Amino acid sequence: MNKTISIIITLALVVGIGIIFFGSFKSENNSNASTDGITTNSEIKNNIQYITINARGGYSPKVSMAKSGIPTKLIIKTNGTFDCSASLVIRSLGFRKILAQTGEEVIDIGIPKIGQPLQGICSMGMYNFLVKFI
Amino acid sequence: MSQKYTFHVSGTHCASCKILIEDILNEQELVKNVQVNLERKTVDIETDNNQSISEIAQVLTDKIKANGYSLSVEKIISRSSIPTETERNNNVLWRAIPIGFMFLVLFFLLQKSGILNLGIGGKITPVTSFIIGLIASVSSCLAIVGGLVLSLSAKMSQDSKNDTKPFLLFHMGRLVSFAILGGVLGLVGSAIGINFIFTSLLGIFASLVMLILGLNLVGIFSKNKITLHSGIFQNLTSFFKKIEHKTLTPILIGFGTFFLPCGFTQSMQVIALSSGSFISGAFIMFAFALGTLPMLAFLSFGSTSFAHSKHAPLFFKSAGIVVIGFGIFAFLGGLAGLGIINPLFNI
Repeated sequence: MNKTISIIITLALVVGIGIIFFGSFKSENNSNASTDGITTNSEIKNNIQYITINARGGYSPKVSMAKSGIPTKLIIKTNGTFDCSASLVIRSLGFRKILAQTGEEVIDIGIPKIGQPLQGICSMGMYNFLVKFI
Repeated sequence: MSQKYTFHVSGTHCASCKILIEDILNEQELVKNVQVNLERKTVDIETDNNQSISEIAQVLTDKIKANGYSLSVEKIISRSSIPTETERNNNVLWRAIPIGFMFLVLFFLLQKSGILNLGIGGKITPVTSFIIGLIASVSSCLAIVGGLVLSLSAKMSQDSKNDTKPFLLFHMGRLVSFAILGGVLGLVGSAIGINFIFTSLLGIFASLVMLILGLNLVGIFSKNKITLHSGIFQNLTSFFKKIEHKTLTPILIGFGTFFLPCGFTQSMQVIALSSGSFISGAFIMFAFALGTLPMLAFLSFGSTSFAHSKHAPLFFKSAGIVVIGFGIFAFLGGLAGLGIINPLFNI
């Protein structure tokens, strides 16, 4: 009997952990779907596309869309950021840096191609962001 | 007239069991003197009670049964003792699993809640770095630094008697090495960078240590001692037993925590790096380490006090579950950070 109760509680807690870890993906996808892939975190100035991502307690937006085929720069904004999101790794660019606590880090990502999303991750691996190019 | 009896005891799994059994039995009126021999698994009891030896065994077993021990006149043959011990282990385990998971859920909820993401702007003084240390000590860094401290402390308390010296040495070593290394960073300036790959690999190593110690605390390994007798885990366990009482080891582990992957520590290192002088770099890192001290001290000294209470078996197993959870989290995160696997989660 004891065992059954224990199993039930454990299962409930496992589901809880599952929601904590994976729940965010769902809401992120939904919000993206509702905006039809048009995100407000990228703008084009002087033929250069700038994508802005905020880093503090994770990255936001976690998934963003941007245009392919034009020179693009990524702006990572920190604002009193001390957590893991300040230590950023973008493997495809060979970028590894601990960002300044408050400021903007401009990273040149060249001319992105369709179907080659850019993924950034914090060094401990629990925060990440993805930029998809369309 | 007092008489001496020797009983066989089952369920003794750690050095502190001796203290616990002696404490409980000494409280009993009919016991005048009690002596536990862990190696022979016997309990010598001096009593002036006239009950028969088997009745005394029964009466005393009732007192210590709740803690998982039992006395018998005849030595229980190992074959029949295996299921009872496993059964007792399982009962504690079934209580420990939900407790461990509860802590994990609370911990990750705290991370998810965003309470810890308060931005601290302006110039970093030792006071702000102390506050950042306080926040860091309950942040996701707890999963790796705290998990390591908890697993090592629990394992050490399980193996040894009441000995807080290694913990004191660990915390001293941590504080002093943070100050010195912070000072060095301030002195050297931007000439050296903190190597990402090195910290990630160290983090993965730490998470593997946590996984092994966690499984050990839960009791996975102790169940099949025979099959693992010459395995690497056995070697590793004996390795830990050998090194854990050396003075240098806890200090070195304290020193090593400087390099463990933790966003907060790394941020503070960058600040120390740009602080410009040995003194200011040292103060910033020292204050940060001091901020993390309350939580880490609670984990290590809490482990020892729990380890000597009657809830010891439950504590070890619950701690084991928590440590395994942290270990998996840190391991998968570390692999993702190195780019070996895709990130599996985003908290």
